[in-house]
Amino acid sequence: MPKLSQKKCQWNVQPATKEYSAQLPSHPNPRNLQYPPKQTPVEELYRRYKDPHEEMIMAEGMSRLCTDLDVDPQDIVMLVMSWHMKAATMCEFSKQEFFNGLKALKIDSIEKFRSALPSMRSELKDKDKFKEVYNFTFDWAKEKGQKSLQLDTAIGMWQLLFAEMTPKWPYVDQWCEFLEERHKLAIPKDTWNQLLDFVRNVDPSLSNFDEERAWPCLVDDFVDYLKEKGLVQTT
Amino acid sequence: MAMEYKYIEFNEGWEFIQEGIKKLKRIVEGSPEPDFNSEERMTLYNTIYNMCTQRPPFDYSQRLYDKYGETFEEYITSAVLPSLREGQNEVIMLQVLVRSWEKHKVLETWLSRFFHYLDRYFIPRKSLRRLSDVGRNCFRDLVCRDLSANVRNAVLGLIHKEREGEQIDRALLKKVIDVFVEIGKGQMDVYIEDLEACLLKDTGEYYSRKASSWIAEEYSYADYMVKAEECLRKEWESASHYLPPSSEQKLVRTVQHELFEPLADVLVRQKVTDELAPLFQHVEDSARNQASSIGAGMPAQVLITDLVELHDKYTAYVNDCFRNYYHFHKALNEAFEVFCNKVVAGSSCAELLAAFCDDLLKKGGCEKLSGDQGIEETLEKAIKTLLPYISDKDHFAEFYRKRLARRLLFDRSANKDHEKSVITKMKQQCGGQFTSKMEGMVTDWTLARDTQNSFEEYLRCNQNINPGMDLAVTVLTTGSWPSYESFNLNLPAEMRICVEIFKGYYETKTKHRKLTWVYSLGSCHIIGKFEPKTIELVVSTYQAALLLLFNTADRLSYSEISCQLNLPENALVRILHSLSCGRYKVLIKEPNTKIISPNDTFEFNSMFTDRMIRIKIPLPPVDHERKEVMKDVDKDRRYAIDAAIVRIMKSQKVFGHQELVIECVEQLRHMFKPDIKTIKKRIEDLITRDYLERDKENQKVYRYVV
Repeated sequence: MPKLSQKKCQWNVQPATKEYSAQLPSHPNPRNLQYPPKQTPVEELYRRYKDPHEEMIMAEGMSRLCTDLDVDPQDIVMLVMSWHMKAATMCEFSKQEFFNGLKALKIDSIEKFRSALPSMRSELKDKDKFKEVYNFTFDWAKEKGQKSLQLDTAIGMWQLLFAEMTPKWPYVDQWCEFLEERHKLAIPKDTWNQLLDFVRNVDPSLSNFDEERAWPCLVDDFVDYLKEKGLVQTT
Repeated sequence: MAMEYKYIEFNEGWEFIQEGIKKLKRIVEGSPEPDFNSEERMTLYNTIYNMCTQRPPFDYSQRLYDKYGETFEEYITSAVLPSLREGQNEVIMLQVLVRSWEKHKVLETWLSRFFHYLDRYFIPRKSLRRLSDVGRNCFRDLVCRDLSANVRNAVLGLIHKEREGEQIDRALLKKVIDVFVEIGKGQMDVYIEDLEACLLKDTGEYYSRKASSWIAEEYSYADYMVKAEECLRKEWESASHYLPPSSEQKLVRTVQHELFEPLADVLVRQKVTDELAPLFQHVEDSARNQASSIGAGMPAQVLITDLVELHDKYTAYVNDCFRNYYHFHKALNEAFEVFCNKVVAGSSCAELLAAFCDDLLKKGGCEKLSGDQGIEETLEKAIKTLLPYISDKDHFAEFYRKRLARRLLFDRSANKDHEKSVITKMKQQCGGQFTSKMEGMVTDWTLARDTQNSFEEYLRCNQNINPGMDLAVTVLTTGSWPSYESFNLNLPAEMRICVEIFKGYYETKTKHRKLTWVYSLGSCHIIGKFEPKTIELVVSTYQAALLLLFNTADRLSYSEISCQLNLPENALVRILHSLSCGRYKVLIKEPNTKIISPNDTFEFNSMFTDRMIRIKIPLPPVDHERKEVMKDVDKDRRYAIDAAIVRIMKSQKVFGHQELVIECVEQLRHMFKPDIKTIKKRIEDLITRDYLERDKENQKVYRYVV
């Protein structure tokens, strides 16, 4: 093996080792040779989308999965799916996440997978589930090792999520404009989580906005922004 | 022989009891009626006892309890209320009330004795109202509540009459008030709710009218004070006759407030404001004109002295003329607080006070004092008088430190003892935390002398080590001193040797300490061998490094200099300007303009001369100081707020948002007034950094994360 890859990498040791270790997983360790003779359907699915170099499904596999499922990768249903899989990162499923997720969803074929999508989509109508998905989004969408969510990602996610919400939040566009115009910084988790409470509980005329309720500063600023620009809706 | 126990039927028993009650009422109403003898009392008690101890369904406890209450209701509605409601004058009504209450008390005493058995067993078990409470509540609900407005007006009317100089029946008044107190049975709530609140309000309004009329009649403050104190004395006196002791204080405080507050407002707050406003305006104006007219005086000096003087004047005024009443002090404090937190001519009072201290502590500062007061006293007084009014004390500390640093490092401090004593005074006033950095600076400065001596000793003992020039180094502790901008200057070889030698020396003294060289604070004496004569130049380290380049070359271009010194552009321009465009042109600039540009060349001015043999070539300071101080203060504040929040949360574990903010402001109040919004931001930051979290159930509550 090493010889072969060294040839391919033209005797550069570093890429060669990388190549070598990348190929390892597909060649099971001799000690694990009692491989089940037949792969389970979930395994078969996993193999179909698995990244050739990593033991997980990555962006490219994900887009193939989307094609097979007949959904747009930007579709919010992919977010709900990731939530079911308890995925740690956007556009990725680890082997564990994929297996556990499909097991919990009782899916073992692409057909079943496809037919599960409408019910996943409708789960967002449930208030509590929506909140879970919403809170899940923050950690899922943020870059690993960072505490806050990049502003452009956050705005994208908000637009995606709030589009699904009923009743609609009338200030989605103003909120995004406000962030781009005034804030320009990453969004901390507390602000992310609190915003949903604000959206759900404070009515559009802001009549029940309680300043003592310890809203994040960003929300306070947004309220000031709405008032300053005369954008507050009267009922 | 089995004895058939004979149960008492309710109606039968009650009829008997009713007879007793009727007799009691006659006694209470004063009809000729013999007292209850012991047998009658016993029978009544026994009857009730029996009726309560019979087996169900013959246990009549509840019905008797109800009847007990009804008896009072019936008595009050039939006998008391009509006599109270008769349209008589207020005094008679009050007398009737007092009499009714006396009767009621007698009735209650006897009845509760007859029904005593209920109190012992039935009432505690059912946790009902005790017998004595039932009677009192009845009276309270039916009489007092119903007539309270009438009674109250009558009472207030009497008190009003007395204030206007009429004689009133104080004994009656006391009795009426006692009725309200007694109904409460040790609790003052009935009295406070039904009477006291209105009494205080009425009194307040009465004296507020008085105060306005006195002011309108333009009483002199002395007459006013005499009048006011006379009123206070009278109120004390009459209150002691009929009000409960707990009310006396409240009443007198209300009177004081109404009488003194307007006077304090007119005579202290407004006057102080009227005197201070022009002072500030004057400083503002002179600062504006200073650009055109040179030497218009020192605003800090003038303003601070004036402020202290005015404060003295008004404090004496308040103490002597206004008998030291709290209201006048408060007015004085408030007026000063407003001004001491103003920004005047672009500087805060904190800054001016620091500048004032600097002026006096600098060499030659004592000449600026006019009176015969010493520097120490003057400073102590200014700080003691004005610092408490400044809410951003941390600003003062930071400005003071900047100036202290300059005095110490550039040897401008006139007297070490004065420096120390002023800091001690501040420590007494604001606590050790406030002055710890300043103390550290003075200590460093004292130690520097020793270090220098020991360094010279070291050089003497090691003759092989020779820096080739006199070298003095001041070692400062990072953290105590303000931070200084320092560039990575390419030192000339001569200086590099010095630095190395000192490093070598310092390592023999201490381990694990890192020396950072702040060249921007250094100064050098260099000998300039000009053709007319030799002149000693006193220059900064930067200037010296630049001049030394001309030992090896007569002419250098801007870029050559820049490349050899490795200084940032703005600093280099400033230094070159000081040497070639200032008063002393040690370098000749080509072309000869007032602005340094990257295409200029510079030449050593060998013909340079001056009438002095030693000259100091000043390097104008960078003018960002104020902004920098503010930035430093803001940074320190963030740390202080973080620390306060964590401290509070550590002890509270779970704490509400509002409470946390209030507590935080309270803890930091002695240093500065924290901005609520900043506190909120710090809380959010601490949440992000996992020191705190929001409570899952209640978003207004934070938890400390261990």
